[in-house]
Amino acid sequence: MNQSQNGAEAPYIRIANISRQYGQVRALHDLSIDIDKHEFIAILGPSGSGKSTLLRLIAGLDRPTAGRIFFDGVDVTDLPPHKRGIGMVFQEFLLFPHRTVRENLAFPLRMTNQPPQMILERLDWAEAILSLNGLMDRYPNQLSGGQQQRVALGRGLVTHPTLLLLDEPLANLDRELRNEMEVEIRRYQKQLGIPFVYVTHNQEEALSMSDRVAVINGGKLEALGERQLIYDHPPTPFVARFVGKSTRFDGAFDAASKKVDLQRYNYSFPYEEVAERKGNARVEVFVKNERFELLPSRSGSAGIPCTVADVVLRGPFVEYILETEADERIIAVQPKREEPLALGTKLSLSWNPSQCHVFPAGR
Amino acid sequence: MSEAENRLNRRLFLHIPTVFLVIFFVLPLIALVVLSFWQTENYKIVREWTAMNYVTLATEPAYFIFFIRSLFMAIFVSVFSVVVSWPIAFFIVRHGGRYKLILSLLLAVPFLSGEVLRLIALQGMLGPTGLVNGVLLKLGAAPLRFIMYSNSATFIALVYLYLPMVVTTVYLSLLNFDFRLASAASACGANRFRIFSEIVWPLNLSGTIVGFLLCFIPTLSAALAPRFLGGPNGVLYGMSIAQQFGESGTWALGAAMGVVLFLFSMLVLGVFSLGIDLRRTGFTGMGRQ
Repeated sequence: MNQSQNGAEAPYIRIANISRQYGQVRALHDLSIDIDKHEFIAILGPSGSGKSTLLRLIAGLDRPTAGRIFFDGVDVTDLPPHKRGIGMVFQEFLLFPHRTVRENLAFPLRMTNQPPQMILERLDWAEAILSLNGLMDRYPNQLSGGQQQRVALGRGLVTHPTLLLLDEPLANLDRELRNEMEVEIRRYQKQLGIPFVYVTHNQEEALSMSDRVAVINGGKLEALGERQLIYDHPPTPFVARFVGKSTRFDGAFDAASKKVDLQRYNYSFPYEEVAERKGNARVEVFVKNERFELLPSRSGSAGIPCTVADVVLRGPFVEYILETEADERIIAVQPKREEPLALGTKLSLSWNPSQCHVFPAGR
Repeated sequence: MSEAENRLNRRLFLHIPTVFLVIFFVLPLIALVVLSFWQTENYKIVREWTAMNYVTLATEPAYFIFFIRSLFMAIFVSVFSVVVSWPIAFFIVRHGGRYKLILSLLLAVPFLSGEVLRLIALQGMLGPTGLVNGVLLKLGAAPLRFIMYSNSATFIALVYLYLPMVVTTVYLSLLNFDFRLASAASACGANRFRIFSEIVWPLNLSGTIVGFLLCFIPTLSAALAPRFLGGPNGVLYGMSIAQQFGESGTWALGAAMGVVLFLFSMLVLGVFSLGIDLRRTGFTGMGRQ
């Protein structure tokens, strides 16, 4: 086991104060993440947030302007990709079009000079684990999207790398296949016991597969934590907006009554503390769409009055598209009941104050 | 689209080019073949069927020497051009930035003048009192004899004439190449040399072959460059054909030489096109947005 200077156990992968600047553009700014040996970590961010840059830096396809990267205690910052012992899966698969599946899978093994016996063993292993039977002698253009994806994964995994980097590998697949592959990819990770770093802009993918989620925005680390924690307790307004599906309300915090009043609705709820501001402060309120409580409208009820404008069935869930008096549309997700609410039903919308997230506005 | 409209389109796009090709490409070729089986005597065509021209070509060693000389010249010029083109095209594609188009168009600048003009300019450069040797003489050094009216001079001229073709073809091939495949190979553990030999080169081989042929075929039949720069031992096959049709007036023999050249070129094209499989070049593969 490697020990860092202060004697504490060094993390398997350490990304320390990484910055990357392209001319005037700051793609990444002073970003640090430690990754454990058996961890599946998702790097989540909107496009242009710097998440792909981060992946390229870890892979060695690009060099940071500042900061260091350590693999298992070794500084790899200045090593080229082929000396880092990584595997990588790309969004567009990037299989070699002039090579068969077998040759594509053998490529990383040949490049790292493995003995022929080992190459054959690993090819069999990849064929079995990724169910590529009967496809080994086909060319990439003779494969479906899902098959290409599996070959791309296999090519990343055959060398049993130090870690596997995945750059939005499911973005080009259709929805059903994507859900299937999410389960598969997570299974491979648990089986192999190597860290997976999974870059995506899709929060569902991030939440469904990873152990921890790192949210990146504007080249900076917004949040890093257990996926459940990131989902339930977003530390910043950006995370609240980006992770999960939420509705945002403008409001004001009344320090005297310890209540938050919504600006556009006659609705208020008790709230303990909003940051450090004193007096009445403007706040942003985020409520996850599945945490709305819908009650039949009665005169004198405390909620936001609204009308069911549309109903979208999503298997076990129902999305109610609600229209408020302020002409806003709010989506409320509810478990499917026998009889979904009819269009035009008048409802009263509210939520449990401990289930919403309040941030000082205008930061 | 209506059936009638469809038929009209077919006529426009298929029939008209076909007619054009038959009139301006196939018919002259047939005329050449027919002529090669006739004879010329005293600057007159004798319409008697005979294979004498081909017998002459097979038995007279001079023509064989011209042909072999042309063949080696074409191979050297094409191989040299390919070797030089790669770094040039690679540089333009990878580092040309927004000047890519202009840089590649600059390659075509010599085409703005005529071929004869360019050869005369080269004559001025390479000749005994030309720029190169003139400067050397002024400096008191010995002039470079090998570039004065020799096969070397022809070589330099042919490279000068056809290099832009090869660079442009390799450039277009590399422009279509998805360099993220190189990143993928790099992430797979390939070093620079293996990225090139296993990925970049094979995936651009088709384009390179096309570039090679675009240089090889016209070089094989080159007539003007050896005439201006080749000197006494520099007669090439194409130049000899030109002479049959010009000074010597032996048109039928010239036609037979042309037919041989045509068949040989077709053979070369056929052999090389076996190496071209566009489905495996990445043009139709996944990975291009």
